[in-house]
Amino acid sequence: MHFFNTIRWIAWKDLLSEVRNRENISSMFFFALIVIFIFSFSFSLDPRTVQEVMPGIIWVAFGFTAIIGLGKSFLAEVHNDCMEYFQMLPVPKGAIYLGKFIGNVLFMLIVETILFPLFVLFFNLDVLEKFPQFLLIFGVATVGLSALGTLFSALTVQVRAREVMFPILLLPMAVPIFIGAVEATRGVFNGDAFALYSHWIQLLVVFDVIFVIVSFWIFEFILDF
Amino acid sequence: MILNRFIRWLGRYEGWFGGGAALCIGIGLYMGLVTSPPDYYQGEVVRIMYVHVPSAKTSLFAYLVLFIGSIWYLWKRDPVIDNMCHATAGIALFYVGTALLTGSIWAKPTWNTWWTWDPRLTSFAILFLTLVGYLMLRTFLDDKEKEATFAAILAIIGFIDLPIVYFSVEWWRTLHQPMSMSVRGISFAPEMLTPLILMSIGSSLLFSYMLMVRTQMLYLERLLEAKQGRLLSETRL
Repeated sequence: MHFFNTIRWIAWKDLLSEVRNRENISSMFFFALIVIFIFSFSFSLDPRTVQEVMPGIIWVAFGFTAIIGLGKSFLAEVHNDCMEYFQMLPVPKGAIYLGKFIGNVLFMLIVETILFPLFVLFFNLDVLEKFPQFLLIFGVATVGLSALGTLFSALTVQVRAREVMFPILLLPMAVPIFIGAVEATRGVFNGDAFALYSHWIQLLVVFDVIFVIVSFWIFEFILDF
Repeated sequence: MILNRFIRWLGRYEGWFGGGAALCIGIGLYMGLVTSPPDYYQGEVVRIMYVHVPSAKTSLFAYLVLFIGSIWYLWKRDPVIDNMCHATAGIALFYVGTALLTGSIWAKPTWNTWWTWDPRLTSFAILFLTLVGYLMLRTFLDDKEKEATFAAILAIIGFIDLPIVYFSVEWWRTLHQPMSMSVRGISFAPEMLTPLILMSIGSSLLFSYMLMVRTQMLYLERLLEAKQGRLLSETRL
């Protein structure tokens, strides 16, 4: 039971500290908002173009959000000297990873759910009734992004140039997520039948499963040396 | 430990690897550039294949070595294995860079474009970025043990990621446009196959030779650092 309690408490601790200081979610949210602004200035807003580039814009914005949010995931622990306590916890270290990971997925999903209506608003999209499909895609892609992001955050937070190293390590590895998420989102925008883009969701799910398991196993080595 | 002894034993024949590489590459280049016939479709351009294909193959082999070495390091914590991984990553980067560069030059006359988002090209580009990230990560860490552990983790994750990148790009390409330039199975004439095989063997031998030399260099570097550290602490006393 220790194992699941650890997961629960770490996720709960992250959520609680987030509710109290609102640092992470607000910085993610406002950063993504600025990205949306910049994109609406840099592309002409003719409806056909919007349809074409929208999936890319959404996922570039979410990708930046992930860099801002996930990169800081372990920063507070280092600042408060909590890494040593993590090392001393008498549970498999993967539990710490899972707790952090669940917290990160929740943060990302909250930000994405707030941001999406703003995309619809600023770019005059007509897709609000397809919200469940979008939520499914956001969910599976966010799980994969957070799985890698949480691992690399724990890794780069102990490195000198952490702000540079985090995106350099995360983004190339996350290429399948971006391809899958953008293509699935494009499918929903085009109004395709679910079967036409479901294989992208399958790809994302496979990616999620592989990297959650691998990261869970390998996290042992990040804390334990 | 048997493997360690095997590697040390192999290291004694380092010169043979270097000499063999020089011989194979020398003969292979001569045959490839002078005696082998030009391709029926591609003409003289095809000769870049004798550099491109071996370096692409060797870079995949090098990454496999890096992957196995990383797992081995996490398992045994042997600093020599870490030196080997560090050396492999640098050499692999060289081979990936060569493969990308020659591939790009070859693509211009045959496919009429420098670059296309073909699965092989994309996964090689990702491989290149991963290796650059790997080497950067190593320079940004001061603690040697942490450096080795983190680098090994990154190499393992990158290796698992690579086939997923390949398949996702393949799906992405096939959906967007038909594969106009799939790499066709060229049936080789023996005059072309011999230099290609020679170059492949030479390239792998060169990789092994560079790996041995570089591992030793890194080992000596670390030894020197340790000695300097000791001297420094002694003078302070």
